[in-house]
Amino acid sequence: MAKEIIMPKFGFTMEESTIVQWLVQEGAVVEQGDPICEVTTDKINMEVEAPADGIIAGIRYQAGDVVPVTDIIAWVIQEGEQVPDMPAPSKIPASTAEPAAPAPVPAANAAPASSNNVAATPIARRMAEAEGVDLSQVAGSGPEGKITREDVERYLQDQSAAGGKVRATPAARRVAREHSLDLAMITGTGPRGRVQEVDALAAAANKTRPAAAGTMAAAPMVSIVPSGEPQIIPLEGMRRTIAQRLQASYQQAPHILFTIDINMSKANEFRKYANERVPEGQLRISMTAIIVKATAWALRRYPIVNSYLMDDRIMIMPDVNVGMAVALEDGLIVPVIHHADQKGLMQIGSEVVDLSERARTGHLRPQEVADGTFTISNLGMYGIDQFTSIINPPQVGILSVGRIAKRFVPGEHDEPLALPLMTVTLAVDHRVIDGAVGANFLTAVRDALEEPASVLL
Amino acid sequence: MVDSVQAIAKERAAELLEQIGPETAREMLQVMWATRAFEEKAEELYGLGRTHGTMHLSIGQEGSAAGANYALRRGYDYLLNHHRGHGHMMAWGSDVNRTMAEFLGKEGGYCRGRGGSMHIADVERNNLGANGIVAGGIPIAVGVGLSIKLRKTDQVGIVMFGDGAANEGAFHESLNMAAVWDLPVIYYCENNQYAMSMAVERAFTVEHISQRACAYNIPGETVDGNDVLSVYDAVSRAAARARAGHGPTLIEALTYRWRGHSRSDRQLYRTRDEIKEWQEKDPIPRFEARLLEAGFITEEEAKAIRDAGYQRIEEAVAFADNSPDPDVATLMDGIYA
Amino acid sequence: MPEPRELTYMEALREGLRQAMETDERVFLIGEDIGVYGGAFGVSAGLIDQFGGERVIDTPISEAGIAGAVTGAAMTGMRPVGEIQFMDFVTLSMEQLVLQAAKVRFMFGGKATVPFVLRMPGGSGTGAAAQHSESLENWFVHVPGLKVVMPSNAYDAKGLLLASIYDDNPVIFIEHKLLYKTKGHVPEEMYQVPLSSTNVAREGTDLTVVATSVMVQRALEAAAQLAGEGIEIEVVDPRTLLPLDDAPIIESVKKTGKLLIVHEAVGTGGFGGEIAARVAASDAFDYLDAPIRRLTGKDMPIPYNRMLEYHTVPQVENIVEEARKLAQGAY
Repeated sequence: MAKEIIMPKFGFTMEESTIVQWLVQEGAVVEQGDPICEVTTDKINMEVEAPADGIIAGIRYQAGDVVPVTDIIAWVIQEGEQVPDMPAPSKIPASTAEPAAPAPVPAANAAPASSNNVAATPIARRMAEAEGVDLSQVAGSGPEGKITREDVERYLQDQSAAGGKVRATPAARRVAREHSLDLAMITGTGPRGRVQEVDALAAAANKTRPAAAGTMAAAPMVSIVPSGEPQIIPLEGMRRTIAQRLQASYQQAPHILFTIDINMSKANEFRKYANERVPEGQLRISMTAIIVKATAWALRRYPIVNSYLMDDRIMIMPDVNVGMAVALEDGLIVPVIHHADQKGLMQIGSEVVDLSERARTGHLRPQEVADGTFTISNLGMYGIDQFTSIINPPQVGILSVGRIAKRFVPGEHDEPLALPLMTVTLAVDHRVIDGAVGANFLTAVRDALEEPASVLL
Repeated sequence: MVDSVQAIAKERAAELLEQIGPETAREMLQVMWATRAFEEKAEELYGLGRTHGTMHLSIGQEGSAAGANYALRRGYDYLLNHHRGHGHMMAWGSDVNRTMAEFLGKEGGYCRGRGGSMHIADVERNNLGANGIVAGGIPIAVGVGLSIKLRKTDQVGIVMFGDGAANEGAFHESLNMAAVWDLPVIYYCENNQYAMSMAVERAFTVEHISQRACAYNIPGETVDGNDVLSVYDAVSRAAARARAGHGPTLIEALTYRWRGHSRSDRQLYRTRDEIKEWQEKDPIPRFEARLLEAGFITEEEAKAIRDAGYQRIEEAVAFADNSPDPDVATLMDGIYA
Repeated sequence: MPEPRELTYMEALREGLRQAMETDERVFLIGEDIGVYGGAFGVSAGLIDQFGGERVIDTPISEAGIAGAVTGAAMTGMRPVGEIQFMDFVTLSMEQLVLQAAKVRFMFGGKATVPFVLRMPGGSGTGAAAQHSESLENWFVHVPGLKVVMPSNAYDAKGLLLASIYDDNPVIFIEHKLLYKTKGHVPEEMYQVPLSSTNVAREGTDLTVVATSVMVQRALEAAAQLAGEGIEIEVVDPRTLLPLDDAPIIESVKKTGKLLIVHEAVGTGGFGGEIAARVAASDAFDYLDAPIRRLTGKDMPIPYNRMLEYHTVPQVENIVEEARKLAQGAY
């Protein structure tokens, strides 16, 4: 039986890979595990290995070709076997090759492979990726049938209406709830594709698909040390996803960092003033809400900081959607305050509270973590003075906020003043934002917080 | 229409009255008036919408109830009652207040409002309850008789039922078993000429239901159910027989109900003339006459006894009105022991 | 270690009756052909010799009379144990059981007590055809005021019988003809197996099988077979169907995530529906990983032909197959 050799997917955002060179030729006899070609993606070189003993045959791509992941690049056949018939591949990926074997897909950020071949706006593609939507199932309303963001949203709405429900057992639903998984993104192995408990558990554990050959190694197996046993925590689930994204961001986006101390006296006063005017029974305005508002204001003044870098294009986003990082037991999630520049403080405040709570209980809706254009991370409550965060792609900036604490600073006449200072660090993607812009943006944030009334202007 | 039955001999009547004595006799007369008052009051309350469900009045049958129950050791012997049983309740000596309260479905009723008219019981005094099922108590009487025999007491059980019950299969099974084992049970049939609308002539091929006793080789007797002493006589003798270990007796008491089967009975199956005819055999004036003749009461006392009977019922209604409705929180009480 | 004392299910019942009658003069037996004949299935054999005809009472063919007799005797201080010769004949006792025995206490405001046991053999497998093979337990489960007990083995038979005799409520005690000759460990002393106490007859992890009466034995046989395939089923025996102790069933389903209910009686309107509904409404719902399945008697009368009869109710191989399919995710 001819065994397919497919182009493996090494990174979660990886959609294609380029063949650097073939290490064997048509007809070569190989053993399972032998490296047969070198491929590259995002400047990372990897080797593809033979998935079985046999003879290499039917090589479909040459060095220099860009191959969509999971596409068949060759076969391993046995003596006397034929290579199966397949249309020759074109440069524009048009194959509909399926992965070697269906398996539970990691919870987040894994759109089906068939999405790759469909025309869609980057936003639509990103949203589809986040929701696990197969773009080939979505009707496009854009030019020449291109799928827009609205199209994906409509599709999602239709799915959640009656009839589009996920078939899943109560036990699977419970596991999905417990691990904040989206059932729609779990492949079901039960009858009629039903999601069983074991599928949900696997998604939670985030097993990799058994790819054909040469995949990036799974979490390294640590051999038992005789003198004592380290506690092994496999890199799985949300942790793994975060790890991959952070690595990608850190490697790809050149971060430049700006740190500034902000005098929060007036912000404190303003907050007190505002809260005295909050009607009975309404939530008090928090400092987080004020920081979100100030940041949104600054983003309006420096729109380049409110942009996406995707597909070698900088897209200055029309809406200011500020994400707030919320710590979870086993990771991190970033619910978004949409249109933060247009919402009042009370509304922002109540959204902050609601979203954080639901983030912690695992009840966020997909649209609540989508479309963020900038992220704020606040470790002040952990007692941290200053820290740095890694940018959340495709965003280009992230603000790390430390605690507000009294420090002595010299006054006008060098007299010591005890002021409530908050140290914030801005990280921006240097491919998009230069030093001056970054600095200006950050000082705008500072100005907004040091003179809250100026936000009204 | 069966009504020809031998009247009790004068000597025997006098003997019985002697046995009963003036005090008890007066009590019996008052019980009969109280029964009539109870039934009339029940009718009134139902008409006023103060009670619900179904109700089976025994107006006209008071003599049967008084004669049968007083012939036994009420509270020591066992009573199994039927659905037209208010008279038997009263004659057995059960508390009129609690009977009325149960009739009105109140917590202070014998059954805490759970039973109603058809299921009133006074278990502590061996009144094992009225029964909503025709012939329902007849097989239970077998068990009561067996229990008495096994416990070796001199108790007797009496089970009341109507003419209709004598055609249920359970009647035959039970009489047979009681006969075979010589159980100390009195099978007392109040033949008021109609089951519901079914006249006895149409439901039986025998002239007297008591004839069926011979099928089980036990004594059977038909008496004038509207003559207290005739009934008292028959039941006393049957009780004596039972206590002596000679087994069951089937007694048929001929009587008549003045009202329909239940409230919803339009009585299309009988004539006004027939009702009038039987009303002339009203058991209460007949017993009153006996007592007057025996010098147990005067005319004034007779009237006073009547008034006392009616007064008793007024008191009972007052008691029942003051009794609370059962608490819904106790809805599921008493299902299991 | 001495050999555990083994009696048949029938001997266990007889011993329970005997010991109760020896120690309590309120207990007596009543039924058809229970005296010299020893009972249609032999349960009361020899008891008339020991206790005499007064306490082992043969009756005419009068099921209504028998039911009324135990009711009346129980209401007046006795603890009778009646026998209905075949469960099928209890249909003639229904008025006394449903409208009198079950309801007297309630109707009288909690006053009377009706402590009797009415024993009856039910079930098919003896070629006795449609009118001598009934499983009507769910009729009685539907009548509050009664208790319904179905022992599945000799140990439980004696223990549940003694518990039933000393329960103050009317107990419908349903034996199975095919169990009478099965053996089990039965201690000599008087012991009670509490009513309303569900038993986990066998622990397992892959699915829960709730079974009653003879189906418990069949489920255990199926379990042994399936263990060889690596499938471990948990067998749960309610023992008392009314009032039902459902907590162990719910706990079991939470553990295994899969439930198969097996009973001989006709499926439609059968006890399996009650269990399924309770489990689906409980905590266990969030742990169900497959639909709840029932394996029951077919919706038909029991046929005379032995082979047809065999196929009318669940057999060991049916339980094996259904359990295997459920465990392996076929549903």
